[in-house]
Amino acid sequence: MTIMRQNEVIIRVAGAAGDGVQSAGEILVRTFARSGLYATSYNYYQDIIRGGESWYQVRASDVKVKNQGDGLDILVALNQDGVERHTNPDINEGGASPLGKDGIAIFDNSIKNYTKRDTNYCPMPLADIAAKYSKNTLLKNTVGLGAAIAASGIDFNIFADVIRDQFGKKGDIAELNVKAAKEGYDYFLANYKPLGKKFKFGKKKYMISGGMAVALGAVAGGLKMYVAYPMTPASSALHFLAQHAKKYGVFVKIPEDEISAINTVIGANYAGVRAMTGSSGGGFALMTEAVGLSGMTEVPLVIYEAQRPGPSTGLPTKTEQGDLNQVLGASQGDFPRIVFAPGDIEEAFYLTREAMNIAEKYQTPVFIMSDLYLAEHYDTIDSFDLNFTIDHGLRAKDNEQDYKRYLITETGISPRAIPGQPGNMHNEDSDEHNEYGDVVSDAVTNPQDRIRMMQKRMRKMDTYIEEMRPTPTYHIEDAEYVIIQWGSTKGTVEEAVDILRSKGIKIGAIEVKNVFPLNPDIGTLLKNKKKIIAVENNYSGQLSKYISAQFLVKPDLITKYDGEAFYPNALADEIEVRIGKKKEVIRE
Amino acid sequence: MMNMNDYKNKRVPPDWCPGCGNFAQLSAITMALAELKIDPKDVVVASGIGCSSNMPEFLNTYGFHGLHGRLVPFAAGVKWANSKLTVIAYGGDGDGFFEGTQHFYHTAKRNVDITYMVSDNQVFGLTTGQASPTAPIGLRTKTTPDGNIETPFNPIAFALNAGATFVARAFSGDVKHLKDITVRAIKHKGFSFIDVISPCVTWNKENSYEYFRPRVYHLENNDVTNFDQAYKLAFEWGDHIPIGVFYEVERPTYEDLDEVLRDGPLIEQKVHTLTEEDLEEFA
Repeated sequence: MTIMRQNEVIIRVAGAAGDGVQSAGEILVRTFARSGLYATSYNYYQDIIRGGESWYQVRASDVKVKNQGDGLDILVALNQDGVERHTNPDINEGGASPLGKDGIAIFDNSIKNYTKRDTNYCPMPLADIAAKYSKNTLLKNTVGLGAAIAASGIDFNIFADVIRDQFGKKGDIAELNVKAAKEGYDYFLANYKPLGKKFKFGKKKYMISGGMAVALGAVAGGLKMYVAYPMTPASSALHFLAQHAKKYGVFVKIPEDEISAINTVIGANYAGVRAMTGSSGGGFALMTEAVGLSGMTEVPLVIYEAQRPGPSTGLPTKTEQGDLNQVLGASQGDFPRIVFAPGDIEEAFYLTREAMNIAEKYQTPVFIMSDLYLAEHYDTIDSFDLNFTIDHGLRAKDNEQDYKRYLITETGISPRAIPGQPGNMHNEDSDEHNEYGDVVSDAVTNPQDRIRMMQKRMRKMDTYIEEMRPTPTYHIEDAEYVIIQWGSTKGTVEEAVDILRSKGIKIGAIEVKNVFPLNPDIGTLLKNKKKIIAVENNYSGQLSKYISAQFLVKPDLITKYDGEAFYPNALADEIEVRIGKKKEVIRE
Repeated sequence: MMNMNDYKNKRVPPDWCPGCGNFAQLSAITMALAELKIDPKDVVVASGIGCSSNMPEFLNTYGFHGLHGRLVPFAAGVKWANSKLTVIAYGGDGDGFFEGTQHFYHTAKRNVDITYMVSDNQVFGLTTGQASPTAPIGLRTKTTPDGNIETPFNPIAFALNAGATFVARAFSGDVKHLKDITVRAIKHKGFSFIDVISPCVTWNKENSYEYFRPRVYHLENNDVTNFDQAYKLAFEWGDHIPIGVFYEVERPTYEDLDEVLRDGPLIEQKVHTLTEEDLEEFA
């Protein structure tokens, strides 16, 4: 049984696609954020525009919440199916727990023939109240949200302001919504008992999604051009940047395909402007040839790769971490590349910003790997540290004597000249070339040139490894057991560690933030542990295999590939079984 | 004063087959740049893959030898980054009319201010003479031993359809005319396309200089703003093959219309520094 915390509330809005589930969820996150609580969210939806089943879960607390949480306090069900599904203990949708006996289910009182279970059912005249204010049936969501706000013990005025902002440009509609919400709020308090949560409200927070964080991080890192073809879940960054193009001075474009996108941004980077592209696995597959072009011509390039379950079109609206092999293997031959996997919203911002400098410093492709869960869920932050210096790396002086674009250096990094710069005219070549950039594949073939160029390029990786920051860890100091994790599973793994530690199990976690190249310190961190467990949102344990090969360890693998993220209690249970502290997982 | 030799890379001599039409295009590009007095530092020549793609290497400008068919989006990226540069995409017919077709179409449609010159010899040269999209019906090549059966791609009609604002054809056997067309194409503000009939002396013996020379004729007194006439001329082929400017009109470029690009070259625009005030939007 999940422990319900007094300073935490989990609300789920459930309905069909087109019912306004997502915007209702976002209103809740924003209300909590403005109230001075931390919140995070989870969007369960299908690849259809109308119909189907979807739900949006918001978890809020006065301490940082790291994942969507399991357990459920309040359900706002917009249809009968929503009532049935989320109060039925036999259904464990995507790993999420249904409403328990202390939970509150809010729904329209026209829904009558539902299966009664051990839950506080709170039928309300949502539609009747809504009808007083508008013909738009979506207004009943607002009434339901008003009731949920009452049940959570949140200030109604803050909620009202969020509603006003949501409908800001629609004047009267905003006020009608506020009135309807207030009736929902009052009705709930007059007829039912709130949960009695006790929060310490802090400073207001900012609400942001992973895709937005990547986009903002890129802007903070000097982004001037974003060219990308739409593909879920990378599109949230594209949409955000398109809406802010003028404000941030970023040129944003959808070209004819992903191949065009990546070649266009290589052109811009070549010309000295920081440009970036993004896609998900299928679209990224089309870009792979040009990834090698960036590696060979040594043109800086940042690629945002937001994963969703494959193969092929896979599960378009679900989450997975299954593209690591693809990113590590993208394009033929050996060439330097750097792959980052942010674990949360903050890391998405800071790592993307850093990637802009790293790409230019090392003149090579740099990846930001995310997934649908990280890209699309809203989270809260106190702020970002906005101090940052853009570093254009090693640039050639004007009119260099005998300029060599691919000068052999100790670090592998050669001074770059960009078009428009006086003197230093040269050719950058996708064929193997000498230090000048002249092709060495035919008339002037010289095997030594090939060998020296390969070594020069690959030396960039050694140089980079030397400047890597230590691998982030969580309670690793006295840990007997260690979890290896990458990307968006971070918050859930950390909570699983907390749960197990509260039971006296000495366990810790390491976050593989530099997915490539791997930080050599991982070898040290994994030494002398009783057991190493890899947690991955994919079938085969892609990172685990790679770590095994590099550090000669054999992690036990916990994977999930149903399209949903891990849940902390379920994960903690599974880990307990793997380390032999529990015979089997008993889920309620 | 610049002369054409100032635009040539003194270190690397061209290595095309003797008699290759690409030599004439190398001369035309360098002569045109000299005539227009464009500083070599302000020129980017981008190429794809194939015999044509070595062009940037032989030039003393900024050059980029990229991927098969992908030279056009690359060139657009360069132009969008720094609109002060003179950007020439130089490719082949196999390169640009097979894998690069949709890039050609959409970049023309956007009216990006670049010059796209295609060395069109109806075969793949570097991969030893396979039939290209412009191969005439009946052409015998390694991949069409019984003769090509596919309707040839019509670059002029395609460019017109796409919305290119400058559409021309030239002939490697007439360097002076080719140079004049190149000068006009570079000067034209918008997407300029030049299809250059450029015989492959090694793989295409049927469509040689001798075949084309008596057939090509200069378009004279052509009303270059008349689309219907240009479109009609695009289908003239066989015994009479028009060379010259088919179509030229003024239309705002993509760079003129985009709300960010119209504020000047991206490379000169200030980077937005993110502040606490910006974060307020997310409250």
